[in-house]
Amino acid sequence: MSDLLIVIGTFALSYAVVLGYAARLHLRRRRVKD
Amino acid sequence: MNRTRILLGTAALAVAVGLWFAFTSPVDRLQGEFSRIVHIHAPFLWVAFLAFGVTALASIMWLVKKTPRWDRLGEASAELGVVFTVTGLFTGMVWGQAVWGRAWDWGDARLATTAVMLFVYLGYLALRKATPDPEMRARRSAILGTIAVVQVPLVYFSVYLFRTLHQTPSIRPDGASMPREMLIALLVNFLAITYLYVTLLFARLDVARAEARVSVQPDLAGDAVKPPRLTEVEDV
Repeated sequence: MSDLLIVIGTFALSYAVVLGYAARLHLRRRRVKD
Repeated sequence: MNRTRILLGTAALAVAVGLWFAFTSPVDRLQGEFSRIVHIHAPFLWVAFLAFGVTALASIMWLVKKTPRWDRLGEASAELGVVFTVTGLFTGMVWGQAVWGRAWDWGDARLATTAVMLFVYLGYLALRKATPDPEMRARRSAILGTIAVVQVPLVYFSVYLFRTLHQTPSIRPDGASMPREMLIALLVNFLAITYLYVTLLFARLDVARAEARVSVQPDLAGDAVKPPRLTEVEDV
């Protein structure tokens, strides 16, 4: 069970990095629009 | 709803499908749950290779055509390549800690060459930040972007050239060393994460185009926005 939690955490952190990058792009786009 | 939003929405759906496959596919008998990490580790690094390949192609096209769109494409793809290399290395470190008993080993050829590749592309992005003149920036990064791509085959073939800790690829032209269900799950994740890369590339190019438009706007206003010249101030 703890192995699965570590794996889920690894997936979540990795996608959080990608999501963070996408959010940063969104903010940059909005700043340029303003 | 604009094109970027539709692409990002469908990419999120594709990633969700990939996650479902990753967590319902069978696991390796020895590695257990940790073998599921292959479903993001390998696709992330494949996308990083693809991204740096696109940067090289865009760099060559800039050297030939000298149009800003190729420069923007090179930068956008390199940035994404760095993001996917970082996540690929992170997932590999967790997997390595669980299976090898260590997260990192500088003596391993695959790990060391991947780290060097990451540092070179971080250098590529730093070089762009450090060069204010757009023409010079495009030229310098096009040259580096063209040369730096030699690392991609070096990283890929490092496991054949130096037999150290990292295994050889599980999917080869002569077949795959995993059960069919696992292979299908891996291929679904390869497709989903490649689509995610394409989507983010479009979003990044949208930002680059918008920023380029804003940066040329003061010129469109002509003399009205020019500050007074020093000679004019002295006359007063």
